[in-house]
Amino acid sequence: MIAVSASGLTRTFQGGGQALERFTFEVPRGEVHGLLGPNGAGKTTLCRILSTVLLPTGGSASVLGRDVVRDAAHVRRSVGVVFGGDRGVYGRLTARQNLNFWAALHGLSGRALRERVAVLLERTGLTGRADERVDHFSRGMKQRLHLARGLVADPPVLILDEPTAGMDPIAAHEFRDLVAQLRDDGRTVLLTTHDTAEAEAVCDRVTLMRRGAVLATGSPSSVAGLVTSQDRISASGVPAAVVAELVARPEVVVLDGSGGDRVELETSGDTTGEVLHLLVDAGVTRLVRGRPSLEEAYLRLLRRQGMAVDR
Amino acid sequence: MQSLRVIGRSAAVAFADARAIYTWRTWTFGWLGRMLAQVVFFTYLGTKVGGAEQTVRLVLGNAVMTSVVESLSVVASTGWERMSGTLPLLVAAPTRPVWVFFGRSLQWPVSGTATSLVALFGLAPLFGVSWQAAQVPAVVALVGLAALGSYCFGLLLAALVLRAYGLRNVVSNAAYLLMMPLCGVLVPAEVLPGPARAVGALLPLTHVLTALRGVVAHSPPAAVLVPTGMAVLTTIGWFAAASFAFDVLVRGARRSGTLDLT
Ligand SMILES: Nc1ncnc2c1ncn2[C@@H]1O[C@H](COP(=O)(O)OP(=O)(O)OP(=O)(O)O)[C@@H](O)[C@H]1O
Ligand SMILES: [Mg+2]
Repeated sequence: MIAVSASGLTRTFQGGGQALERFTFEVPRGEVHGLLGPNGAGKTTLCRILSTVLLPTGGSASVLGRDVVRDAAHVRRSVGVVFGGDRGVYGRLTARQNLNFWAALHGLSGRALRERVAVLLERTGLTGRADERVDHFSRGMKQRLHLARGLVADPPVLILDEPTAGMDPIAAHEFRDLVAQLRDDGRTVLLTTHDTAEAEAVCDRVTLMRRGAVLATGSPSSVAGLVTSQDRISASGVPAAVVAELVARPEVVVLDGSGGDRVELETSGDTTGEVLHLLVDAGVTRLVRGRPSLEEAYLRLLRRQGMAVDR
Repeated sequence: MQSLRVIGRSAAVAFADARAIYTWRTWTFGWLGRMLAQVVFFTYLGTKVGGAEQTVRLVLGNAVMTSVVESLSVVASTGWERMSGTLPLLVAAPTRPVWVFFGRSLQWPVSGTATSLVALFGLAPLFGVSWQAAQVPAVVALVGLAALGSYCFGLLLAALVLRAYGLRNVVSNAAYLLMMPLCGVLVPAEVLPGPARAVGALLPLTHVLTALRGVVAHSPPAAVLVPTGMAVLTTIGWFAAASFAFDVLVRGARRSGTLDLT
């Protein structure tokens, strides 16, 4: 079953700015789906439309089969949203009071509410600070609170817009475990991030966006495969003669051969096997064979844009 | 039931705001003191120009007015929701926004009711009003109703100026200044021109003051109950209008993409 879908989704702003342009994708139930793309690509706009906070100007989108415009009330009950940043919390309330508030808005009360809030504080590592005022929280702690708030209604679909922005590396890593738990619960997660390693680690599939449209979509490795069908070999402790021999072969692309006994190569097909044999026969043991990373694919697909934001 | 719970939790946010602004000491010596001084000042001026009946009108009106002033703070404090960046999250939640906004500023009518009651029971006797124990419940109920009615009216104004945040103080001050002459705080409704009287009749405060003067004058029950009923009805009307205005606001902001209102 499809959890989230968009078809020809378009959003134009007054003044002519076009944030989404015939954006089409589908996320099956239970999938963790990443949205990647440069600043201004339209990721947040898509998240806002799916969470019923913004209306599309064209096309359609639905969550669990319910249209986000016609059936917004239904969609709101099945979606949890987390928008990143410092805002969106009541600074004068404690973390627990903040969650109590949102839990009540989602129809919880009494014991069910108290237990749910306690579980979420535990899950996001905030139990020790639960009764402190939130305006004294660091950015990353507010971000954890946002995450807990997004989960308060136990929603089957979660929309997370840059959920790890501002988190320290340990927290960001714990976040990966949390997403894995959410997937194990059977939830569908749509996640925007600028961290390709994070996307690679937690996402079943990713959509690369640019100028409000889909540039590529698929598993992180298949998207990475789009930019090159080459195998990647990196080795160190390679004798100089072997390096010279590799450099001399026309069907081998040497990415980095300047580091003395280190080489990084791109090959394909039968050549890959020949090169591996050559290296192993020369006694090289520190050897990694892999595909290009998602990060590299991202950079290559978007390179021409340079530092410019999308529009 | 669900909406009551939402109001309750939103009121918890409201009282957390109040605790951050006031302590018992600053409320008693700052806010309450200032309001009582204002009641005494206006009433005392009035004794110089009018008779005993006018003095009673002024002291009752100004005492109740303190709760109105404070209830109208809802116009400004609803805008705090904008600054905390919670509006998009409220819209994404499966609850009508009006319940949240109704609870969200309840500290004002509660504090306002307390201020007015201190003024009525503490100051009005200095200006010739005498209270009997049997009148107390009616007075408390009427003051609460005045605060609630003005609060609901203020909630509508809040919805209207939420986008135009810079107008919030102008609007609540203008509302307050217009209510003074229109609602019978200063002069009897009979001296007002027809249209002004009609506007006054739409405001709960007008009817509460009529009822309160009836209580003070030991008038027959109908002279108190009829205006009380009118106050209740107009209060419900303003609440419905506010609810509608919040829905329109949200619909428009979803269309234009201005829900963040940063
Ligand atoms: N309310 C708005 N009014 C006008 N233009 C807007 C509005 N919201 C977004 N845009 C424009 O739409 C485009 C897409 O913005 P969006 O926030 O969706 O990008 P994003 O992919 O989330 O970027 P980032 O990575 O920086 O978060 C941008 O050009 C932005 O300026
Ligand atoms: Mg964004």
